Amino acid sequence: MKQKKIHAYVFVFPSLFLTLVFGIYPLLWALRYMFYDYQGFGTPVFIGLDNFGRVMRDHQFWSAVGNTGIYALGKLVVTIPMSLLLAIILNRKMKGRSFLRAIYYLPTIFSASVMAIVFFIIFNSYNGILNQLLIRFHIINEPIGWLSADHAMMTTIIIAIWGAVGNYMLLFLAGLQGIPNDLYEAASLDGANEFQKLKNVTIPLLGPVMQMIIMLAITISLKGYESIMVLTEGGPYGKTEVMYLYLFKLLFPVSAEAQSIQQLGYGSAVGFTTAVIVGGVTLVYFRISKKLNDVY
Amino acid sequence: MNNTRTHTRSVMSQLLTRSLGKAVLWIFLIAAALLALFPIIMVVLGSFKTNQELTGSATIWPSSWHFSNYLEAWKNANFSRYTLNSIFVSVVTTVGTLLVASMSAYAVNRVSFIGKKAYSLLMASTLFISIGAVVLRPQFDLMVMLGLNKTLWGVIIILISAHATCYFILIGFFQSIPRDLDEAAMIDGCNFYSVYLRIILPLLRPALAVAGLGAFQGSWNEYILPLVFTMSNPQLQTLPVGLANLRYGIGAASEVQLMMAGACLSILPLLVVYVFANKSFMQVTLGAVKG
Repeated sequence: MKQKKIHAYVFVFPSLFLTLVFGIYPLLWALRYMFYDYQGFGTPVFIGLDNFGRVMRDHQFWSAVGNTGIYALGKLVVTIPMSLLLAIILNRKMKGRSFLRAIYYLPTIFSASVMAIVFFIIFNSYNGILNQLLIRFHIINEPIGWLSADHAMMTTIIIAIWGAVGNYMLLFLAGLQGIPNDLYEAASLDGANEFQKLKNVTIPLLGPVMQMIIMLAITISLKGYESIMVLTEGGPYGKTEVMYLYLFKLLFPVSAEAQSIQQLGYGSAVGFTTAVIVGGVTLVYFRISKKLNDVY
Repeated sequence: MNNTRTHTRSVMSQLLTRSLGKAVLWIFLIAAALLALFPIIMVVLGSFKTNQELTGSATIWPSSWHFSNYLEAWKNANFSRYTLNSIFVSVVTTVGTLLVASMSAYAVNRVSFIGKKAYSLLMASTLFISIGAVVLRPQFDLMVMLGLNKTLWGVIIILISAHATCYFILIGFFQSIPRDLDEAAMIDGCNFYSVYLRIILPLLRPALAVAGLGAFQGSWNEYILPLVFTMSNPQLQTLPVGLANLRYGIGAASEVQLMMAGACLSILPLLVVYVFANKSFMQVTLGAVKG
């Protein structure tokens, strides 16, 4: 028996070692350097909470936080109802059900960055595919600046919705399958129509599952930045700069418009702040949705 | 007489609203399907068009099929290298992730040892805490220390270290393998290790397929990590990184057909697997969330 325990430690060790070294150590590293002035070379200088004072005064960061809010809200407002609707429709017995599910889920399997390249070619205002097609079919006369300062945020949201609906449809479908069929039959016997069944059986019983799915959707949409990085680099004029993209640029300045020096200490402080913001938003949502659930 | 007529009429109108509702429903479903497929159709068809056709004329179907785009992307635009790098990273990461995760899931599920709770909590916490790109810097420094920053092994090891999702998918399946089997095998002379190799791994095969698909998909699609690690080593770039660089490259506007062919190369393997096994892809998502 004792020997078995030693074997168990041997088997857990690779996983534990990798997680501690490459998962936990970087967190501790950031927790330390967020109190330092450190730009990747020379000796780090301890500056206490100065980095956080700078975060508070950093207009670029807070405008990125605002953009993240718009991006996440825009994405969720369309994605959640749309995927719930598709799930409810495809949960019924009908022809072509699994075929349609497969089609709606397809966009979620591809790389966000590769699809961002494809969308760049599609939405490009100068010679993009979409503008060409819209002009050819006389829907518009002038090309629309999909990636211009006025529309870029909307375009990134459209792309995010495209990549997300299938995912949440699937999660909702899994939730819907947990609702016992008897309840629908009982409702039918009582003379309920489809809409009443939806309102009185599906939505209330889906409540807890829906709460989890929306929470997941919130955290994922606050964290997403890959496709925006490839599509617009946060531009034009920082209109699509979300907070995790701003953070990436602080640590790995690649573009000409970003500051050219690595900001490791300050970046750690910004990273910590973004994590707290995501955690805070999630917690607030959790509290509010729980209260709503209790009311029902 | 009159009564039957009104009755027929009401049945008729009921039928009419019903079929009208059905029509609206199907129009909605088909429109949603077209929206989902549009970019994918455009990239597949676009990869056979000439640059002029892509940027100048609004066609959907290519006016003539240029398979040479792929040849050019493969030979001149370095996509052969990107593809090989991507295959190398994804295959090694998948095997490594499955090995590390299945070993620890086996130990955690079958043996009770001190620190088990703490370990499970640790694994769960790695899924939730995210400080974004900040972690890449110390990870990179570690790889410099190990001398692995100029190879793809650095990327692979870090990808394997993020095996918590795979671990939770596997441990969910462990409940379905009865412990009696282990015990019977032990009586027949197996030890802890041979039970893992001869009993657990074969029985875990369906779960390994699902978790492995998830690991492959994740590493194949990964962009940020290989981007950071290959900034000064273009020869190590994977498909997403090499492709995204074309967007910033000088004269990117003149190479749209190459970008399309490259994008196609990178989505094709997943697309082919998806056609045959789309249920497994869905199981990855569900398993990862349930964990």
